[in-house]
Amino acid sequence: MPNLRTLLILAVLLVLLIAVPPFLGLGWQNALVNVLIASLFALAFNLLIGQAGLLSFGHAAYFGVGAFAALHLMLAVEDGLPFPTPLLPLAGAAAGLLVGLVAGYFATMRSGVYFALVTLAIAELFHSLAPRLEGLFGGESGVSSMRMPWQGFTFGSMIEVYYLTLAWVVICGLGLWAYTRTPFGRLTLALRDNEQRVRFLGYNAHASKVIIFAVSAMFTGVAGALQAISNETANYSLFGSIVSSQVVLQTFVGGATVFFGPVIGATAFALFSFLVSDLTRSWLLYQGLIFVLIMLYAPSGIGGVVHHHIRNRRQLDWARLAGPYLMALAGGLLITGGVVFLVESASVLFGEEYARLRHAAEGGLPAFDLFGAEWSPVSVLTWIIPAALLLGGIAVLIRARREIDTLWARKDPSDDTLAETAPLGGEA
Amino acid sequence: MEFAIISTLNGVTYGLLLFMVSAGLTLIFGMMGVLNFAHASFYMLGAYVAYAVSSIFGFWTGLLVAPIVVGLVGMAVERFLLPRVHAHGHAHELLLTFGLALIIEELIKLFFGDFPVNYQMPGELRFSAFHIFGTDYPFYRLFIGGIAVVMFSALWLLLTRTRTGIVVRAAERLPAMAEALGHNIPLVFMFVFGTGAALAGLAGAVAGAFYPTNPNMGLELGVIVFVVVVVGGLGSLKGSLVASLMIGLFSSFAVGLDWSLANLLGLFGLGDWARSVGGLLTLELSSVSATIPFALMLIILLVRPAGLMGERN
Amino acid sequence: MKRLALLAATSALTLGASALHAEPLKIGIIESLSGAQTSTGRLYANAVSYAVARINEDGGFNGEPVEVIEYDNAGGAPDAATKFRQAVADGVDVIFQGASSAIAGQLTEDVRKHNLRNPGKEVMFINLGGEAMELTGDKCQFYHFRFTTTAPMRVNALVSAMKEAGDLGTKVYSINQNYSWGQDMQAAVETAAAGGDFEIVDEVLHDVNKIQDFAPFVARLKSAAPDTVFTGNWSNDLLLLMKASGDAGLDVTFATAYLDQPGNIANAGETALGHYIANNYDNAATDGEFAEAYKGSTGHYPTFVEGHTVFAVGALQQALGTLDFGGGDIDVTKIALALEDTTYETPVGPISVRKEDHQTIRPVVVSKVVKNAEYPADDTDMGFETVEVVSGETAIYPVQDSCKMVRPGE
Repeated sequence: MPNLRTLLILAVLLVLLIAVPPFLGLGWQNALVNVLIASLFALAFNLLIGQAGLLSFGHAAYFGVGAFAALHLMLAVEDGLPFPTPLLPLAGAAAGLLVGLVAGYFATMRSGVYFALVTLAIAELFHSLAPRLEGLFGGESGVSSMRMPWQGFTFGSMIEVYYLTLAWVVICGLGLWAYTRTPFGRLTLALRDNEQRVRFLGYNAHASKVIIFAVSAMFTGVAGALQAISNETANYSLFGSIVSSQVVLQTFVGGATVFFGPVIGATAFALFSFLVSDLTRSWLLYQGLIFVLIMLYAPSGIGGVVHHHIRNRRQLDWARLAGPYLMALAGGLLITGGVVFLVESASVLFGEEYARLRHAAEGGLPAFDLFGAEWSPVSVLTWIIPAALLLGGIAVLIRARREIDTLWARKDPSDDTLAETAPLGGEA
Repeated sequence: MEFAIISTLNGVTYGLLLFMVSAGLTLIFGMMGVLNFAHASFYMLGAYVAYAVSSIFGFWTGLLVAPIVVGLVGMAVERFLLPRVHAHGHAHELLLTFGLALIIEELIKLFFGDFPVNYQMPGELRFSAFHIFGTDYPFYRLFIGGIAVVMFSALWLLLTRTRTGIVVRAAERLPAMAEALGHNIPLVFMFVFGTGAALAGLAGAVAGAFYPTNPNMGLELGVIVFVVVVVGGLGSLKGSLVASLMIGLFSSFAVGLDWSLANLLGLFGLGDWARSVGGLLTLELSSVSATIPFALMLIILLVRPAGLMGERN
Repeated sequence: MKRLALLAATSALTLGASALHAEPLKIGIIESLSGAQTSTGRLYANAVSYAVARINEDGGFNGEPVEVIEYDNAGGAPDAATKFRQAVADGVDVIFQGASSAIAGQLTEDVRKHNLRNPGKEVMFINLGGEAMELTGDKCQFYHFRFTTTAPMRVNALVSAMKEAGDLGTKVYSINQNYSWGQDMQAAVETAAAGGDFEIVDEVLHDVNKIQDFAPFVARLKSAAPDTVFTGNWSNDLLLLMKASGDAGLDVTFATAYLDQPGNIANAGETALGHYIANNYDNAATDGEFAEAYKGSTGHYPTFVEGHTVFAVGALQQALGTLDFGGGDIDVTKIALALEDTTYETPVGPISVRKEDHQTIRPVVVSKVVKNAEYPADDTDMGFETVEVVSGETAIYPVQDSCKMVRPGE
């Protein structure tokens, strides 16, 4: 059972999520709705990979199905069906569950890489057939509807949508968490770690996996429905591989081995896209770099790292660790600065506008503007800055890491309960 | 008859191109068990490197340099990146290559822009090989096909007839034993990964001059290549060849066939009913030809996951 | 980085003396600035920025410079919906978007719902490139304006110009992408058959941007032996189709809608010679004054969608010129009403808004690819030569019955 402290933190978080948004601007409310939906999607996705060790590369299918189901119900409500608007996500849940049962039955016949490929193929089938099936998915412009008022709520303003989303995400999040605590949820973990043994114990491994898959698809469907409610439209692009891969990225950056890890990843990515996507053309590159770096240096994700620290908090000499950690942070910032400088100058230097400037300068290399200053591409100084940032950052990081390692090594080894991250996906 | 012959020709040459790209992927998977999501990005990288080099040193130099550069990139990935995540299982390897694919695509956009670049085949290859039923058949299609055939034969001979091939296959089956016999297994794996990447690079360099070279080319071909490799059997070179040809021929013939399920049901007198139902039943084969490969892949995965020619699951 | 500077500038402004300043008109560009359609999205965004800079040179609007904010919809409708809400949060009055009909469909619905719920705080949407017929049909609404052609306009213009030039022939083949735009094109070709005295020998709809090898389609095309091939294909689908037919040595003329997309001519090479295009604007059809002015400011001649995008903003500027909010609140409904009454003179002819469905009545330029063109495309020696500028009255088609527009105050 979770300790009091965790509960307290969650309660404070919930109070903040309830109390703060009315005072935020429309932009932030909108961003928070996206954060919540992405979080639920990632949590539901992680039921498969984090709990059952099944890597799905096609979860967009269930997200999209949930969205379209909710929209069709919304259309029916528009036509007079007396269905309460706040319960619309139930349609997404039902559709997700249903499609999840069928797809899951087939997909879980395979494991490892093959499972990933089956899920990928299923999502691609949806993606390529949806625009052809106009009755269900409304062609490429999709299905569109409007939230209808219910019991005095108009659901016209963003804040109403926000609270509706928050309520559903909290309920579903708790549901998912509770699920992992049930004996069946425990069985899921066992399936991941040693399927053969589970079979020997007399459980039907395939049936169990189908159920997990369907449950994951059901909650994914709720997330899709919530997006449909917030956007009031959906089109076939919801089935696209980008949707499937985003949730994979978010979950692993956040950490698949910790229950709330995916929420961290989803929050980070949704906010990242909210804050950065209009600032630079290269934001997808940064996103990719972050993902690969996390895969390389913190395979258990942000959540995993945090969890590791919390577990060992009593054994660590925090006073002495603070220095090296700050140093590591500084090193990270230096490297980030260097990379951003290089990427942004490359994007200027190889861009169309600069090509025109060069053309005007008759093949010369004129200076370019970046971060409010002017830089000459042939000046050594221009390139010394990012080089110094990068090298300095790397040097600082290496140093900090060495110190951190020594300090960690010094901690009381008796209580290092966290096992190394279990392999995910298993052998093919 | 005319349609059949032309479609067969087109299907075979397109199939051979698919094979060229998928050969590297299946080689890497067969030897190392790594499903390389970045493979199609290597293909794209090959096209762009060839474009950049050929604009200064000419087409043939580009064709030579591209596989070398991409092969080196592949080796670097295998040597420095994959080992870091190896301990966390195949899923993490797959995710890493997936992240790399994102980065490569964005880097290409950063340096070469979003529009297709002007990468063309040289004038001496731009002629028609023969004249058939009133149309010219471009020589370059045969050139692509020819390179694919040479590639297949070379790989086949290398793996089955040479000492190196024996070591590589030993390293795949029993790495520990092969290592005990004094072979440098990490080196072998690096070599295999590099070769696989180089093959993709070569394919990109060859095909990029025929099809447009743009930042989406990896994405567009990527999924189809997965289909080929799965259908043929993950890790089976022969299977890849057969599956490539199958999919090539299929997409070639599907274009001319206005078949739908409704027509099929019409044979049993259910045509009108099917047409009244609409939806899936009235979709014409030619309009969903891009969907069929996925359906095929799904069926193969479920019925015979080892693929047509794969040896094991 | 532009938006960062702009945000900083605006927040400094508002902090400084918010009460003293009038409300600036805010324009939001919700475009595909990342993802597969980035190239086109970028062109729309650049052209809007260029044209707004002209407004600001002329003193802006409502006593303030007009602000432009760019939003990246990542090429997808769901992201566009999010960015629309962000734009509303930023106080945007007019939204511009061009790349993709699906996104235009999403935005026009978003705008409609927003205006229903927020009377007095309306937002209007200027559609620069969403050519799906339903946008001025089923989905037509008062706050949506389409400042581009549609399939029937392009096809009508092509048929009339090609016929006059003697390049149309009597056998026509239609090959299009299987989604609303391609289907609209196919339907438009079918409709035009009677007036153009041609017979449609075969028609094909194929998957959008998924086909790598067009040789099989060319084989089918060849067996139908057409004189002219009508296609609304864009991007790879057009390029691959033309290359494959060129490689097969087919002697057909292509009648296209998007041949001028940058990179197409260079990539297609000599194959492109003699093919037709109908579009909103081409430099060669004008006296060159606008083209030079654009080049003077941006360093290159307007290409692809840039020209007509500038005219859309120009029409808006002209409409704004008839209004005076006295430095107070901006009433978007009044702007929309003024835009309805605007007839804007472009270098290729006048553009006016048809009040019934907010489709613009506009000239269509029909051009042909030639060697040694006046304005070479993609650094080649080839380019477009104007065959005919078909007037708006000739090219326009009847209002669709499905359009039931609710006007403000009704």
